[in-house]
Amino acid sequence: MALFPLTSKFQGDFVLQLLPVDTDFSMDQVAAAAAHHSVGRRVAPRPKHVMRVRRQGANEPLPRTMKVAESGLQPMECIEVYFEPPSR
Amino acid sequence: MALLQRTDWYDLARTTNWTPRYVKESELFPPEMSGDMGIPVAEWEKYDEPYKQTYPEYVKVQREKDAGAYSVKAALERSKMFENADPGWLSVLKAHYGAIARAEYAAASAEARMARFARAPGQRNMATLGMMDEIRHGQIQLFFPHELCPKDRQFDWAFKAYDTNEWGAIAARHMFDDMMNTRSAVGVGLMLTFAFETGFTNMQFLGLAADAAEAGDWTFANLISSVQTDESRHAQIGGPLVPILVANGKKAEAQRMVDVAFWRSWKLFSVLTGPIMDYYTPLAHRKQSFKEFMLEWIVAQFERAMLDLGLDKPWYWDQFLEELDDQHHGMHLGVWFWRPTVWWNPAAGVGPAERKWLEEKYPGWNERWGRQWDVIIDNLVAGKRELTYPETLPVICNMCNLPINTAPDKVADHPLQYKGRWYHFCSEGCKWCFEQEPERYAGHMTLVDRFLAGMIQPMDLGGGLKYMGLAPGEIGDDAHGYAWVEAYRDRVKSAA
Repeated sequence: MALFPLTSKFQGDFVLQLLPVDTDFSMDQVAAAAAHHSVGRRVAPRPKHVMRVRRQGANEPLPRTMKVAESGLQPMECIEVYFEPPSR
Repeated sequence: MALLQRTDWYDLARTTNWTPRYVKESELFPPEMSGDMGIPVAEWEKYDEPYKQTYPEYVKVQREKDAGAYSVKAALERSKMFENADPGWLSVLKAHYGAIARAEYAAASAEARMARFARAPGQRNMATLGMMDEIRHGQIQLFFPHELCPKDRQFDWAFKAYDTNEWGAIAARHMFDDMMNTRSAVGVGLMLTFAFETGFTNMQFLGLAADAAEAGDWTFANLISSVQTDESRHAQIGGPLVPILVANGKKAEAQRMVDVAFWRSWKLFSVLTGPIMDYYTPLAHRKQSFKEFMLEWIVAQFERAMLDLGLDKPWYWDQFLEELDDQHHGMHLGVWFWRPTVWWNPAAGVGPAERKWLEEKYPGWNERWGRQWDVIIDNLVAGKRELTYPETLPVICNMCNLPINTAPDKVADHPLQYKGRWYHFCSEGCKWCFEQEPERYAGHMTLVDRFLAGMIQPMDLGGGLKYMGLAPGEIGDDAHGYAWVEAYRDRVKSAA
């Protein structure tokens, strides 16, 4: 359990932001932490959507329950947080 | 006895190279200071400055310029410009003075390096006058805002900004240190005078002079027009160096220096001048959009100048042109959102009429930028101002030292690992600048690097503002006290 800085690139937001998380955070918790700094501030909420996390440029998201410590993410690596449509 | 015409003696009088007897040529002109790249002195002596002026002529003209600017200031001191001006315009003045005035002193030092170490006598002569220009610019742009300090302490940042770790000041210092304080005489000539001054100061000074006149601020209009007349002369120092470098097999080196300086200048102007022209200047007083001004004064002129001198367009030219549509809108939104961290009060500039203008000038603005402002406006209308402030830092580019931002569909990190450390860049251009001379830049820490290293304590907004030197009364807030939100409140009411 340790503080771990990431770079958040949030869908619909214009700026990359410093995202302090914990190595024990799941990807869902990472997404929620990222949303705190974007959704309802510059990005409109999208009810019923699930927020997913992927490495910048990757096609597939990281598993929702995967912990930061297991993800292989580097400190300050840029993650993309995006809305997954509910139908999927 | 009749005096000779200046044209009859000028060339002879500035033939000031000689053969040293007591020291070596390399001691008199160390290559790291002259930047001569091994090109023989006879080649440098072919340097022909396009604008020839003697010292007596210079003194006469400069005295008249100063007398003009100071007398306009004195005549208008009771004009109540400060009391009557739109708050957005006052923000223009504060941002300009803080970012520019002290940099003029750095420019004087850079000109002095050319005056002493340039191998071309003509370059030394022009730079001597350029050095005095820049001292004048530093003094006049500190003196004019000084009288406004008792009325509004944000004007104190005209002097203070460069002594702080405020993020914009770090960005400006990083760039000016790169092109002014740490380059050879040739480097300064190409990077400061050719790329930065020919390329960009026209924009800050001519564009703002037009807006100032429209806004009725004749003191400022006069001041910066006066500064620009000097710039347009000493900006010509760098151009004549290019043909010499090209003819002696150093085109690639010249191209690289110009390309680095132009890219870096673009980034700084996108945060300084873009918001000023497209958001802070009241709508009724805008002469041209930032993009229109860039296309007319920077893109067309600079592109032609580069090709005429034997250089190529920078490799990133298409990316640069693409950035004209978006980069400064993101810089503006970022400055407004992180407004406690600047020494001026950003004008939002997104009332209904302004948005119509933005959509006309930048088709698609509402889709790319308006959506984000809509969330902010909804929060302000709903009385949730706390949601219009940040709770974290933007990630800062390791080259331009500005937040990594642009339109949502384009923003990306451009990372690079160098000697085990990861660096993060806003663009291919900034990453490329770093790669040209990594050791020059590798040791620098962005504001975020410093935050993560524990240099900013406590690790919250209060600690950040303290680190940046922003005292109460200086911290930025919305220029118009959120009055512009009323138009949207009325809209909500009428819809209900």
